[in-house]
Amino acid sequence: MSKIKSSVLIPFLIIFSLVYIYFYPRFLIENLGEGNPWTSYLYLYGFGGYFFLIGLMLITKTGACQFGRGQDTKWFVILCSGFVALMSLHAVWIYLALSIPVKSGVN
Amino acid sequence: MKDLSSLKDLGLETSDTIIIGVVVLVFILTVRAFGSYFARFNNNINDFFFSGQRFSWWLPAASMVATGIGSYSFLKYSEQGYNTGMSSTMTYMNDWFAVPFFVFGWLPIIYFSRIKSVPEYFERRFNTLARYIALAILLAYMFFYIGYNFFTLGLVFDELFGISQMYSIPLIGIFIGAYVTFGGQTAVIFTDLFQGIMLYIAGFIAVFAGIYALGGFSEWWGWLPETHRLPFVHLTENPKFNTAGLFWGEALAGSIAFGFMNQGFLMRYLSIKSVDEGRKAAFFNVLITLPVSAIIVGAVGWIAKALVMKQAATGGIVGYESFEITDTFVTFLIVCWTVVKQNPWVFGFVLSALLAALMSTTDTLINACAAVGIYDLYKPLIKKDADDAHYLKAARWVSVATTIIGMLLVIWFVNQDGSLMSIHYKGIMIIIPAIVTTIFLGAFWRRFTPLAACVSMIVGSVVTVMTVWSPEWIDWLAAYVSGPQNGKYYYMRALYGMLITGTVGVVITLVQNWFFPESAKNNFERSDGLTICTLNKAMENYKGGKPNHEIGVKVYDLSNVKFDESLAYNTVAMSSANMDLLKANDADLIYISDQRWHLGGLRSNHVKVFTGKGFDVNSIAMSKKTFEEAYLIEGKPLTAEKIF
Repeated sequence: MSKIKSSVLIPFLIIFSLVYIYFYPRFLIENLGEGNPWTSYLYLYGFGGYFFLIGLMLITKTGACQFGRGQDTKWFVILCSGFVALMSLHAVWIYLALSIPVKSGVN
Repeated sequence: MKDLSSLKDLGLETSDTIIIGVVVLVFILTVRAFGSYFARFNNNINDFFFSGQRFSWWLPAASMVATGIGSYSFLKYSEQGYNTGMSSTMTYMNDWFAVPFFVFGWLPIIYFSRIKSVPEYFERRFNTLARYIALAILLAYMFFYIGYNFFTLGLVFDELFGISQMYSIPLIGIFIGAYVTFGGQTAVIFTDLFQGIMLYIAGFIAVFAGIYALGGFSEWWGWLPETHRLPFVHLTENPKFNTAGLFWGEALAGSIAFGFMNQGFLMRYLSIKSVDEGRKAAFFNVLITLPVSAIIVGAVGWIAKALVMKQAATGGIVGYESFEITDTFVTFLIVCWTVVKQNPWVFGFVLSALLAALMSTTDTLINACAAVGIYDLYKPLIKKDADDAHYLKAARWVSVATTIIGMLLVIWFVNQDGSLMSIHYKGIMIIIPAIVTTIFLGAFWRRFTPLAACVSMIVGSVVTVMTVWSPEWIDWLAAYVSGPQNGKYYYMRALYGMLITGTVGVVITLVQNWFFPESAKNNFERSDGLTICTLNKAMENYKGGKPNHEIGVKVYDLSNVKFDESLAYNTVAMSSANMDLLKANDADLIYISDQRWHLGGLRSNHVKVFTGKGFDVNSIAMSKKTFEEAYLIEGKPLTAEKIF
């Protein structure tokens, strides 16, 4: 059963990834423009987050990270919190860069 | 206004140059003395390369600060910071995506399997051929970095003191080679810790002096153009520095290469007392060290931009000489010299930090190359069964040879065209894709076969190199991911190399598993403990028994050490009360250490614990040999904690 499940799941994941990699940046560029800092931000965290999620799935599915075993739960929480922290930091940074006026008037 | 295209235009007085030289020399001698002291902690080859897997997380983590910042970092990122602003932090702050794979996958695999080098992993996971293909690629990667570091330092010495690279590089090479040769990994870790502290202090001096010159933090932020404030650059515009390219080439390929195959970094993690402590070091490194380092190496460039903007608008900065940077390569040095008000003592100290950055990266790589030389070449091919003293001596000779080869490589770098950044990424993005992908598939996909590993590494490497002459092969892929399509492909080349390697590897594996199920079964057995799916097996092998994951507490004040020669080497006995606190069973693996935290585990060891009769809570028993091999000192209380 699990063999059938993985033989369906893995091709599905590959096709989904290929579709996602193709359409996601085009969607961003069309709606925000290539030069928009939020495009770069969403490109990085959209693809990076996808890769990160695959990592989380892999470590939990294979049993490398088992909730309740030793310190595994703590490390898993830190992993997710770190991702959110960096993502938030970059978002605030872009917001401040765009919202505070520049003295020389040069953008 | 001074038009500065080189440091020679700064007009350094002879007395300034002498003072700067003296400060740098004192710094070098202090580091040398520091490194020599730790040579005494090398009893065997394991100590020489891995410091006996005994350190607390903070010691290797702190020493990684200096290792991660090369001499080129200050020059390269200040230049980048001046040109594109705070987006120079991108390469330091995009590593988090690969962290789950490292902390729960690669780190426990290599730690519990007691892997000494990446090529050794290839032999155990695949076969001997895979080991030597990986070795060739790995050596290319490490020697590239060593040569590059020597090259950039030579440039600085040439610019500043007018000393030709012909003389400065051999001198520095002899100095670094000497302390690595005698001190080994322990010397590297402790000197890097010292140099890391110096590097941060010097970096912050330069940053604060710059902010002060501008009139405060809000002035700096106010004068910085919007483009220079942003944490990311344009998605595709600049072929040498763009968000899309940096994601695929740097955040993925580069981060995995640094964490998974950089032998120098792996050896730091393997010197830590447990996998849990290794995870702490990894999180600290990515969340704290790398962002702070990004500021240290790039901030002078951001300050330079704000200074130039303010100067242009106000006619000059009161109390400081006006300047214009025409050669951005020396941005760091020109701005530092200006903002410290041309004080040669302070400038000498800042320059020492630059030197520290070089030495700390190079010493790590020399030690790492020596480890690979001993474990992957000398031991398996030249002398299989010698004693530790012999290998220790051989390791020192390999360190010397590595240093010489690294210095000779400078001749090649001198003949390369382009900026420091482009030379760096051009080389790295060609070398890493094939091996990075193979490590990844090997560690995370159990079906991946030895044949697939060998063929995909060779095909992946050859095709990646060929794209240097045929960059148009990458066009379709760059278009597919909406990356830069400019025919230069600094980073997209890495993605292309990974894709080719991965595709070849997956296709061969699927065909082999489909048509030759018997060989696939052998491969499954061989990979026990070496893939993410078989980590429990790796833990059992490491401990020599079933792991005990129950979380206990640390036991302090074990001040009464009894010597009992009836106890086997590396076993200890303690009271049942302490065993309860540790939540340990007989034969569990524990870690005993000198109680003084600041030693960072320098005096410690892993031992098996048993319940002793008639012990009080302050007593612990072990043989004299166990005590001595842990470098413990009589009269100094110990702590104990359970590993598992």
